[in-house]
Amino acid sequence: MSGGPPKALQSTGPHSLRDMPHPLAGSSSEEAVGGDSTPSPDLLMTRSFGDKDLILPNGGTPADTSSPASSSSLLNRLQLDDDIDGETRDLFVTVDDPKKHVCTMETYITYRITTKSTRVEFDLPEYSVRRRYQDFDWLRNKLEESQPTHLIPPLPEKFVVKGVVDRFSEEFVETRRKALDKFLKRITDHPVLSFNEHLSVFLTAKDLNVYKKQGMALLTRVGESVKHVTGGYKLRSRPLEFAAIGEYLDTFALKLGTIDRIAQRIIKEEIEYLVELREYGPVYSTWSALEGELTEPLEGVSACIGNCSTALEELTDDMTEDFLPVLREYILYSDSMKSVLKKRDQVQAEYEAKLEAVALRKEDRPKVPADVEKCQDRMECFNADLKADMERWQNNKRQDFRQLLMGMADKNIQYYEKCLMAWESIIPLLQEKPDAK
Amino acid sequence: MRLRRRIKSQRRAAAMEQSPPQDPGRQLQSAPLEPLGHPAAGLEAAVSEDAEDTRKEGPGDGTMTENNFSLKKIEISVSEAEKRTGRNAMNMQETYTAYLIETRSVENIDGQSVLTDSLWRRYSEFELLRNYLLVYYPHIVVPPLPEKRAEFVWHKLSADNMDPDFVERRRIGLENFLLRVSSHPILCRDKIFYLFLTQEGNWKETVNETGFQLKADSRLKALNATFRVKNPDKRFTDLKHYSDELQSIISHLLRVRARVADRLYGVYKVHGNYGRVFSEWSAIEKEMGDGLQSAGHHMDVYASSIDDILEDEEHYADQLKEYLFYTEALRAVCRKHELMQYDLEMAAQDLASKKQQCEELATGTVRTFSLKGMTTKLFGQETPEQREARIKVLEEQISEGEQYLKSKNLEGREFLKNAWADIERFKEQKNHDLKEALISYAVMQISMCKKGIQVWTNAKECFSKM
Repeated sequence: MSGGPPKALQSTGPHSLRDMPHPLAGSSSEEAVGGDSTPSPDLLMTRSFGDKDLILPNGGTPADTSSPASSSSLLNRLQLDDDIDGETRDLFVTVDDPKKHVCTMETYITYRITTKSTRVEFDLPEYSVRRRYQDFDWLRNKLEESQPTHLIPPLPEKFVVKGVVDRFSEEFVETRRKALDKFLKRITDHPVLSFNEHLSVFLTAKDLNVYKKQGMALLTRVGESVKHVTGGYKLRSRPLEFAAIGEYLDTFALKLGTIDRIAQRIIKEEIEYLVELREYGPVYSTWSALEGELTEPLEGVSACIGNCSTALEELTDDMTEDFLPVLREYILYSDSMKSVLKKRDQVQAEYEAKLEAVALRKEDRPKVPADVEKCQDRMECFNADLKADMERWQNNKRQDFRQLLMGMADKNIQYYEKCLMAWESIIPLLQEKPDAK
Repeated sequence: MRLRRRIKSQRRAAAMEQSPPQDPGRQLQSAPLEPLGHPAAGLEAAVSEDAEDTRKEGPGDGTMTENNFSLKKIEISVSEAEKRTGRNAMNMQETYTAYLIETRSVENIDGQSVLTDSLWRRYSEFELLRNYLLVYYPHIVVPPLPEKRAEFVWHKLSADNMDPDFVERRRIGLENFLLRVSSHPILCRDKIFYLFLTQEGNWKETVNETGFQLKADSRLKALNATFRVKNPDKRFTDLKHYSDELQSIISHLLRVRARVADRLYGVYKVHGNYGRVFSEWSAIEKEMGDGLQSAGHHMDVYASSIDDILEDEEHYADQLKEYLFYTEALRAVCRKHELMQYDLEMAAQDLASKKQQCEELATGTVRTFSLKGMTTKLFGQETPEQREARIKVLEEQISEGEQYLKSKNLEGREFLKNAWADIERFKEQKNHDLKEALISYAVMQISMCKKGIQVWTNAKECFSKM
């Protein structure tokens, strides 16, 4: 289900969320955020109702009565038509605090999801729930089903080979946490996806499993219709821009794959280099024990090499934890995008098939039958959504890669700076004249 | 790839006393090395020369001592290497490399250098020279030659003796050898060494005429002495242990360093692949394209920078190798001491036994076993005249023996003194050189880090423009 145009939101302009009490929550609400600052003029009216009047069920509209025509709320409504940028964002989500749960059947990790929002859809200004990877996977599937015309961000890899990677190691959990955080942030940045009801439930429900079971009974309608195309009708011609996107994604994924392999190879070579360094340094130490005047210089060199080894280890760890996963995410992203493109093709094919069927029937209808029109609508919506998402994706991709590659350069610079410092610091030691005997 | 750098710790000019070149004969007389019958005799001459020499030669680093106007600076260089073919001893065609040795004398006043000699030598002639020096100067730590075959190579380096890089490094090593010899206060005065630099033809015959091969201590004798000596000087025993340990450690170090170089090479080279893929990727991008492309170029620069870096590091490895080979020279001096000490102990033992025999004969008691005693028991006592005769022979032998022991003792002490003096000199040289080597190694590492920072900073800037 495509989200409709966003509802008018209670807003008082660029206040920080913490300063704004939720219009539906009075001072008696335990979940109220902040609350010591002076409320905006728009809220004054609601506040004066008194405590009991403010405890309203979800979906109530007292917010709407507070000067909807005020200039600031109008402005905000307009601004929401554009991409949500930092200043007008009203939904903030963070993933943190991983915890291990040991049960009889299994052991797993949960993450804390903290949501802060002024949106009307949310009863409370702040939520804190615990979710595990399964839940994220469920959310993503639901989003794909309910928003098939949009690009859904990827999740970090689901399966890990047991024995090779420790699912509970700090590094693995941290890498995953960052990826899950990125996942939710991408969704909440999206003007359409961020209003999806499954997302809201995911962010707010105390017990997700209950909701999951309910949801199972109802199969979404739209998803079904797009899944299978009968007849295998071939696409007449793909619009140029989508063909171009398809080609781009193919090459893009290829190049990323190559970069992934190169990065892995570099890390492998660096680790082997590290192994040799760890043998190399101590030999100087052994030598220094044999000498007299040369003892300190040799010991100094040994320590220096040790420092360089440590710096190298930090570099390889960083690259493994921060660089490779993001690269892989983008490969997954482009894979899922390709399948959305295929769906678009199917929708277009369906429309063209219907159109042709009508033409063949040679019925003398003045206008196109309703279902064909519906198909055309669906196709045009799909094209529009996809186009918009592609642009936003390209932008984000550029920023993400800029950050990723600058980060890689940074880590290498830091490595060399650490080594430089180590070697420069022993020069005076090496140049020291022995004490006159 | 020519290695541009000469070995830094080298003393390029050597102070060498040079009498007018027309009369090397005069030099010969003052030099301690007449082809005499007994190498030890040469030492005696060296002893008296030595005190003089150290005053004249100074620290042997090529600097002029203030009081010496007669000294001229000599510059020695091994400037070229050339492939040659010729016939060997078995009249078979062979290929070898010849090295050009140029000697220049530098006038004290105007500082200009004049080429005085230039000739070609091959590696085997260097070996011959060194073997000669080992025999005639057993109390000196004789500088080593560069390795005969390439060892401790990391995979990019060739182990082939004909490889130009190997030949180039060997050229530098041979020059280093000559500079070491010419800056040694004692070795530089050797006539054969002088002829090596100046007399192209017939030099080999001249060396062989000294008969030094015959004077060399037999390996078996030396080995025997090492095992059987009872009271070697503790300093030399310690020195021998030190040499053994040092050899083991430097070998280990060189092996690991070669592996480190290999791995480092791999790391740098793989980065070159980024260059290609960034270029390909930039082709499908719009705004990101330029940044990616130029960053890729920097990755290529990074990948190719490793070749020079590792070439410089080989120089460090060569410095370590020289001291690895020096351990053998140290051991040779220790072995010589053990041999002399053993001879001394044997002589003393022999003397003691003869004295014992004499005493027994004189007093009539038989405590030591002797064949004569045995036969006497079997065949009857000998006559007093026979006994007198034997006593007289023994007394003569004892007297000779005592003289012999005395001179051997003196020899031994002189050897210890001179050898230890050279060992002290060597220790100073070693500490100085190795410190210099470590400093230059650190400088190389610093340069490598700075290059790395530069390249990645450039790449980062390109990324920031994406």
